[in-house]
Amino acid sequence: MTDVTLTINGEERSASVPPETSLLRLLRDEFFLTGSKLGCDVGDCGACTVIVDGLPVNACLMLAGQVDGRDVVTIEGLATLEDLHPIQKAFEEFASLQCGFCGPGVIIAAKGLLDRNPDPTKEEIKDALSGNLCRCTGYTKMIEAVQDAARILRGEKEAA
Amino acid sequence: MTDDVKVADKTDSLTDLKETDEDLRLPSVVEPAHFPVETIDTEARHQTPAVGQRATRPDGRLHGLGQTKYIDDITFPNMLFAKMKRAGISSALIKSVDTSEAEAMPGVAAVLTGKEIPVNSYGPSYQDQPVLADERVFHAGDPVAAVAAVTEQIAEEACERIEVEYEPLEPVYDPVEAMKDEIKVHPPHSNIYATKRIKKGDLEKGFAEADHIFEGVYSTQMIEHVPLEPHASIAQWDPNGRVTLWSSLGRITLGRADIARTLDMPINKIRIVGTIVGGNFGGKNEITTEPALALLSRKTGRPVKMVYTREEEFIASTTRHPFIMEYKTGVTDDGMITARKVRLVLDGGAYCSWSETTLGKACILSAGPYNIENLLAEAYCMYTNKTMTGAMRGFGAPQVCFAYESQMDEIAHKLGIDPLELRMKNAFHEGSASPTGQVLQSVVVKDSLEKAAERFGWKEDGQ
Repeated sequence: MTDVTLTINGEERSASVPPETSLLRLLRDEFFLTGSKLGCDVGDCGACTVIVDGLPVNACLMLAGQVDGRDVVTIEGLATLEDLHPIQKAFEEFASLQCGFCGPGVIIAAKGLLDRNPDPTKEEIKDALSGNLCRCTGYTKMIEAVQDAARILRGEKEAA
Repeated sequence: MTDDVKVADKTDSLTDLKETDEDLRLPSVVEPAHFPVETIDTEARHQTPAVGQRATRPDGRLHGLGQTKYIDDITFPNMLFAKMKRAGISSALIKSVDTSEAEAMPGVAAVLTGKEIPVNSYGPSYQDQPVLADERVFHAGDPVAAVAAVTEQIAEEACERIEVEYEPLEPVYDPVEAMKDEIKVHPPHSNIYATKRIKKGDLEKGFAEADHIFEGVYSTQMIEHVPLEPHASIAQWDPNGRVTLWSSLGRITLGRADIARTLDMPINKIRIVGTIVGGNFGGKNEITTEPALALLSRKTGRPVKMVYTREEEFIASTTRHPFIMEYKTGVTDDGMITARKVRLVLDGGAYCSWSETTLGKACILSAGPYNIENLLAEAYCMYTNKTMTGAMRGFGAPQVCFAYESQMDEIAHKLGIDPLELRMKNAFHEGSASPTGQVLQSVVVKDSLEKAAERFGWKEDGQ
């Protein structure tokens, strides 16, 4: 068994898991954070995207043992009890999600971008979301939502 | 390509595979009501306030929060995980299945084979698909056994330890080859399991009136739906003999009837909870693992979950039919279509699934949205030893669209007519009759084409 202690959404958590356990399995099966989804299990679809030490990663490709002592943010860590994160709000407003299965991964990938680059171009947004597959909505409304959230986060637009 | 096939002879032998709609009809479905008022014919093309309105989805917020519960997000105490042993051979007789080593593994709670399933066949039209193959394998993705264990890894390893002895049979993969019926996928039945024929006008006369005859063969490939959420189900058999299934199944009522049939138990003992589905696109319109999971749950007294791997999505779920489409079209010098003959061969894979629906829609739409007085459209759906094909967005409409629009471009090019002009000359207008004689209302093909051409600058680009 591998012992892991890490920070998830600002809270320190520990678990003892078999060494082959992925970060995704750790989050879903040990901590019941099921917002990160298993879509392909080979790093193609991005439905499992989480932020590790500030960078978006595919949680299905990272071993639980690799995140020992590190900082992880999942979709569950974005909203507060009072309010949605501006990206989540924009995704709702722009109807950027239909079946929603890819949504948490896309929103986390967008957060990873906006944390580093508050004023991305459309091309930069496309690039940041290139690891996330969507089969229903398509990407146009997602890109619009990310642009809108960026304006709110920069303080150029009032949150609705 | 297929002139020697006698369609009427081939379909007769299949009738015993099919239940009538009446058999599938649930007792709770009431007779159609007779309204005291005739249908009110609303004005066509009336702009309602809904069009152009901005709306948000009622479930959008939960999706964005990661709080929507899909099947794989649901866990029950003491839950087991199931995996299926896949055949890996496309056509074979099963001589023996030895599960003893798998059953002896620590962590394995139960192993299920096809022989234990009360009625080992299912399907939304023909019941030609085994829940777990027991006598014969029809395609490489067929499951031959299922294992329930305390973890997915143990279940997977147990599957590897199941020994299956096969007697390989010669497979048939090419749908046109399959039409000869030299190798039968489901003997004694013919490989041609569904046909459709639409006749309109006088084909000979139509071709005689034409100045040019265009002939072409077009084909499309097999496509997987790739829903982001793989197929997933959980079964819980309770001590009162009722089973509850949480499933990503899209058509739960039809699925319930199908499950009742395979388990040979009354439908009121079966409860299906359909949750939010992570993408369907037609691929989740029939049951898959549910009966096997129900029986594993009965064997173990514990809830059992199974989630397809992405690989299983490709090899064991339905896909879009590959089509081979033969088009012959007669056209006058000024671009008017006088006759069209269409022959479609659908590669149905190992099981019927929604092939009949696909075949029908493809055949009806195969002439395109054009006024063609003299028409013959014939379509055949074939069994082959491949992953089964079923419903997928459009039920065969995109395939035939590729063929008839490709040919329209060829005609325009050869006759030196603007491709848009050629379509405008022949397109449906208000009151046009479809190939099956339906008089069409609210026909805006020409307006749409004109508007689209204007918007993207068709004329300016000089094509």
